[in-house]
Amino acid sequence: MSAMISIQNVNKWYGDFQVLTDCSTQVAKGEVVVVCGPSGSGKSTLIKCVNALEPFQKGEIIVDGISVGAPKTNLPKLRARVGMVFQHFELFPHLTITDNLTIAQTKVLGRSKEEAMEKGLMYLDRVGLKAHAHKHPGQLSGGQQQRVAIARALAMDPVAMLFDEPTSALDPEMINEVLDVMTELAQEGMTMMCVTHEMGFARRVAHRVIFMDKGHIVEDCDKESFFGSPRSERAQQFLSKILQH
Amino acid sequence: MDAWIDLFRTAWPVLLQGTLYTLMFAVISMVLGLALGFLVALVRVARVPALAQLAAFYVSAMRGTPLLVQIFVIYYGLPGIGIEFDPVTAGVLALTLNVGAYLSESMRGGIAGVDRGQWDAGLSLGLGWWQTMRFVVAPQALRLAVPSLSNSLISLIKDTSLVSVITVTELMLATKEVIAQTFQPLPLYLAAAAIYWVLSASFEQVQRRVEARLNLSYRR
Repeated sequence: MSAMISIQNVNKWYGDFQVLTDCSTQVAKGEVVVVCGPSGSGKSTLIKCVNALEPFQKGEIIVDGISVGAPKTNLPKLRARVGMVFQHFELFPHLTITDNLTIAQTKVLGRSKEEAMEKGLMYLDRVGLKAHAHKHPGQLSGGQQQRVAIARALAMDPVAMLFDEPTSALDPEMINEVLDVMTELAQEGMTMMCVTHEMGFARRVAHRVIFMDKGHIVEDCDKESFFGSPRSERAQQFLSKILQH
Repeated sequence: MDAWIDLFRTAWPVLLQGTLYTLMFAVISMVLGLALGFLVALVRVARVPALAQLAAFYVSAMRGTPLLVQIFVIYYGLPGIGIEFDPVTAGVLALTLNVGAYLSESMRGGIAGVDRGQWDAGLSLGLGWWQTMRFVVAPQALRLAVPSLSNSLISLIKDTSLVSVITVTELMLATKEVIAQTFQPLPLYLAAAAIYWVLSASFEQVQRRVEARLNLSYRR
């Protein structure tokens, strides 16, 4: 399989503090990779490097054949091809759901209003929220907002999707409605890199699990070996804590 | 009673003329000041090299010196190096430069008040920096900045009275002229005060409408 996302020896510093150290991994086309680890381990920073929301100082990231860090890379164009879903949804509160779904399609991809609307509503329907098209984000629950955010990213026809703790800000009863959408997406063959603590989701859906600690990728293996017998002591501790409840 | 009617007859055409001048100064400086303020705020938020430092210097200079001095420098000072303005232009220029500095700070605050995540979301969808600013951040920043922008704009309405010192017959100088003819300072200054108040209060109405309009999206 060819790599959709290739991360090679990525290093990143905030001033003197090194947040990422020699991170290397690959995500193949159609592969679902869950990135987990304690807070402050650099997992969110790593996936934000993939679409250049965070710059990195050393190493290389290649997404669908395009080098993210290269000075000549057209970043908006690259980002338009990589969907991202955020912990706090980040819908645009001043716009209706419809406008949230269409704005980047028309402004970035140059689609007509009608075309963008059709596509947007199709994905809104897929996440089960077509009836809310005319509302503003503030009128929706957290789970609904996150599903709209996923639809917004999908409407751009991305080649890969990045999820940055998509369920961490949700009330427990809303987590599943978001995970269900993600599971469906994974089953359709979307390339996905998900930072999440939802180990049930990882077990069911992921192909591989990456465990990070203190800016290092400590463990990077298929999910069976990760949940079966993680090699590093740090990952064992993390799992035992997170799986207890 | 007749004396009052006479006073009113003499005063009102002059005061009306002055009020129109005052309104003209206020409206033109408001529009130009908002445009200038937005530009200055953009340059500073985007950290455009050299321009950002220049903009910071401009804001500091304008906020750190009295408007009266600024008006004198522009109208009486600049001719010394060959730059001359007629009084109206000089007045508009001084008011615009002054209010633009304050407005830029309000806008900068509004922009900073929009969560970083909104930038990330806009950029992650492929919007460029300017598109994200224009379609995502600026509309939300405006909502945050309206109360503070309105403060500066109401001050501007009253500050137009200072251009009377460069012979522009706006409301303040018009009032003084009528007083010179009629020797009735109390009723005439009170009338002028009332007119300024009405102008400011009308602007407050505008502010309320703008706020209601911008808050529409946030109703639950």
